[in-house]
Amino acid sequence: MTNLVNCSALELAEMVRARQISAEEILDETLTRIVEVDGRPGALDTAPAVDDEKKVHAFITHTEELARSQAQEVDAKIAKGEDAGLLAGVPFTVKDIFCVRGTPSTAASRILANFTAPYTATPVERLIAAGGVMLGKVNLDEFTYGSSSESSAFQPSPRNPWDLSKVPGGSSGGSAAAVAAGEGALSLGTDTAGSIRQPAAFCGVVGMKPTYGRVSRYGLIAFGSSLDCPGPIARNVRDAALMLQVIAGADRADATAATQAVPDYLREIERGVKGMRIGLSPDYFRITFPDPQSGEYVEQALPAHMQEAVWKAAELYRSMGAEIIENVPMPNTRFGIPVYFVISRVEAASNLHRFDGVKYGYRTKQAVADLNEMYRRSRGEGFGPQPKLRILMGMYVSAAQYSEQYYQRALKVRTLIRHDFENAFDPQGPYRLDALLTPTTPTTAFGMADVYGDSVMMQYADQLTVPANHAGVPGISIPAGFSSDGLPIGIQLLGPDFSEAQLLRVARAYEMATEKEEWREKKPSLLEGK
Amino acid sequence: MSVEYEAVIGLETHIQLNTTTKIFCSCKADSWDDAPNSNICPVCTGLPGVLPVLNRKVVEKAVLLAAAMHAEIQVLSFFDRKNYFYPDLPKGYQISQYDHSLARRGYLELPIPASADPNGKGYVRAVHIHKLHIEEDAGKTKKERNRRYVDFNRCGVPLVEMVTEPDLRTAEEAGQYLIRLRQLLRWLGISEGDMEKGNLRCDANVSIREKGSSVLNTKTEIKNVNSIDAVKDAIQKEIERQIREVEKGHAIKPWTLDWDDNAGVLRMMRSKETEADYRYFHEPDLLPLEISAEWQADILEGLPELPLERRARFMRDLQIPEYDADILTADHDLADYFERTIGLYKGDVKKISNWLMNDVLRMRNEWGMSMSEMKLTPAYLAELVQLVDEGKINITTAKNLLPKIQESGKNPRTLVEELGLAVVSDDAAIRAICAKVVAQNPVEVKSYREGKETLIGWFVGQVMRELRGKADPKLTQQILKELLK
Ligand SMILES: [Zn+2]
Repeated sequence: MTNLVNCSALELAEMVRARQISAEEILDETLTRIVEVDGRPGALDTAPAVDDEKKVHAFITHTEELARSQAQEVDAKIAKGEDAGLLAGVPFTVKDIFCVRGTPSTAASRILANFTAPYTATPVERLIAAGGVMLGKVNLDEFTYGSSSESSAFQPSPRNPWDLSKVPGGSSGGSAAAVAAGEGALSLGTDTAGSIRQPAAFCGVVGMKPTYGRVSRYGLIAFGSSLDCPGPIARNVRDAALMLQVIAGADRADATAATQAVPDYLREIERGVKGMRIGLSPDYFRITFPDPQSGEYVEQALPAHMQEAVWKAAELYRSMGAEIIENVPMPNTRFGIPVYFVISRVEAASNLHRFDGVKYGYRTKQAVADLNEMYRRSRGEGFGPQPKLRILMGMYVSAAQYSEQYYQRALKVRTLIRHDFENAFDPQGPYRLDALLTPTTPTTAFGMADVYGDSVMMQYADQLTVPANHAGVPGISIPAGFSSDGLPIGIQLLGPDFSEAQLLRVARAYEMATEKEEWREKKPSLLEGK
Repeated sequence: MSVEYEAVIGLETHIQLNTTTKIFCSCKADSWDDAPNSNICPVCTGLPGVLPVLNRKVVEKAVLLAAAMHAEIQVLSFFDRKNYFYPDLPKGYQISQYDHSLARRGYLELPIPASADPNGKGYVRAVHIHKLHIEEDAGKTKKERNRRYVDFNRCGVPLVEMVTEPDLRTAEEAGQYLIRLRQLLRWLGISEGDMEKGNLRCDANVSIREKGSSVLNTKTEIKNVNSIDAVKDAIQKEIERQIREVEKGHAIKPWTLDWDDNAGVLRMMRSKETEADYRYFHEPDLLPLEISAEWQADILEGLPELPLERRARFMRDLQIPEYDADILTADHDLADYFERTIGLYKGDVKKISNWLMNDVLRMRNEWGMSMSEMKLTPAYLAELVQLVDEGKINITTAKNLLPKIQESGKNPRTLVEELGLAVVSDDAAIRAICAKVVAQNPVEVKSYREGKETLIGWFVGQVMRELRGKADPKLTQQILKELLK
């Protein structure tokens, strides 16, 4: 019998619609898998336990009852011969940064630990309406602020299913880990600087950041409002396309949601890359950062195995009839992180204002003399170190006397980064790229606690993903083999605005061309024999 | 010789627009008389994850006001976040417009009536508008027994903020400005403009200087004033206080002053030495506001002739006195009513003006309805006055008919017939009554004949009484004079 938890979302939905299997059966098997691999969910004020190191800990909240009723609803529709939707019976998880009615929506922060949302985020609503079955809310960095998921106030934080001593990445770490460990075929993540693509790369799954506005942000607890993109995390490219199909599109509740028609992402997904122009840029084969001592920019080449994965993919594409354009200049890539440090923090500090202990969420238990002390104590006790850092910096760079120097300047540089992409993708320009092929991350997954606390280095890990957020363009990370120490390597494809269908097609071409390769047979160590 | 001072006054007004729903969500905007927190939703209470969606009606009403103030409407404007903490501000920032507002640079040619001019002549004060923008209102808090209560109903109610240049010179001018602004808001149908209800709010910036000087001295800001009279009162008191301070050789400090309406005094709220930093930045959750030429044209199609323009036209083209023109343009309905009536009336328009000002308006106020709701239509009023002009009824009868027309909805001619109110101009009928009156009052007849000819009025009155006011007065007098010879 097929192991349902290893099936793709497309297969599951097809089997459910064909009445070969029920949504409840899928759910039961998935719940069994979760019990086997996940361990205790993240919670506040937990003491570490030895056993924690043997489990994934993707979840904060299990919504088994909700899942059961959704699965039954799908089965009832099927029984009545009704259309049960594109995702009929497909189990999925939701990063706990989305509001879902009647469930705790915590943002992995103490300040929202007691907050139960009275409404449901648009993309989640669409997943459920399409027949998806929501398993629960998965862990992340507090308010999505991080690249390892370790900054969650809900501990234990998620671990990488391929190597439980490594982080799953972040901030959508719980999402990527869950999908990699067979805890649901799909997960809804968010990407502000790489928070979908980086954990997808670390966990050997597919993660897509759509064009800004392609997927509604309504119900997503905001980090950097001008950068945040909800997007799919899946085990393969076609599942990511299927999920995007469901969640994309205009939304009356989000003025910034794009009104462009949503194309059929699966229709031409297997038509290959013949005649396409795929670019490589030297600016994506190195990390450039200011030396902490001298302040001068220093360059550091990416590790060889990370570069090789990209070159190998480029060769494959060439062999499939694509034209490989080398040396595409993306000179402003190096400014991605500093600009991000300014813009995202200004927005974040403002977005965090509403957590003041007045209306919902955490309020200090201590006696307070006045309103200001209530604010200070509630926020001081409710926020972890990452939100506090962002508030401090955001307040600083948007202060009247510094705004011109930092925030306004960052906005200008942001347009320069956008110009890099426009130049590369311009159909009349010198490069005329259909897609830019890059590594997703500078390294494979790092060890638990390795860089936590060193916030700056963690942020530089986003240097290859954050430019797409500044520019608003779509990007996808797909698995491209393993390092010698057995950790997944991701490669990234970036495209012009609303080129998701094309990116998915390029990504699928790679997947098809490497289908028979040995590394495709590998399974996370945790799942050996399952 | 003592120095003569003049005041320099700028007004910052907040105008609550009368849209059905709030500016960024679909909650009911007007919560007057509603229980606290009854018109709220996730969006206007700032729940995590919600997003604002702009109500286009808010833009349309603001554009009408901007056009009426002759301001430059910007094709592209931006929303900004004004960041600060307060319990009535659930997001911790107010969505407003900062450096790229909806409209800039407007003006109002403010007529100051003779009654408000110390020289008794009246004049026009040009008041310039610095900028006009749209924003959301905050909620309300109140403190009771050491607890603070928050009502979010008002959160997200649409406001226009309009700031004048420091162009006003007296408390009286400030009052006139607010009267004209209120008139304009109602005229355009965009706000109730009621200061007592808080849908028109005003802060005043006041400084003084030597008359003739052009310097701008340190100003104070007066807040929390809830009526036009209070604004005038507060400004006047502040001008006097500043003059006293300066004469004593003290410097004016940039205070914020709170008006205590009950006590009629200003109190210092805080010293404004350090400006709050609101860390404005463009609101990323809303697209830039683009007002295309088509949209603007669509909106401005609904822009009526403005009250001051109409007032000027009445005076110029209809030769109506300023006093009448002011009253007749007090509201749009009334001005329309007047114009429709004179269009149907073949006589002196001043007569219609008098009828409206003296009788119809009083009746409307008693009955508490708008002109457009009256059964006494312009056509009926014109007909009624025409009947008087033609001598078919006398003026007393006409005045008594007004409520009857309003009650019955019947036209005046029909009513006159039905009620038998037509003037008796039958010579024989009147002559008979006159003879009777003369016969019954020998004493008065004697006096008259001895030279007290003013008694003629008394005789006419007696005849009128007999005929219940329907006698043709001219004919009656003529017959009486004959009989009394
Ligand atoms: Zn609302």
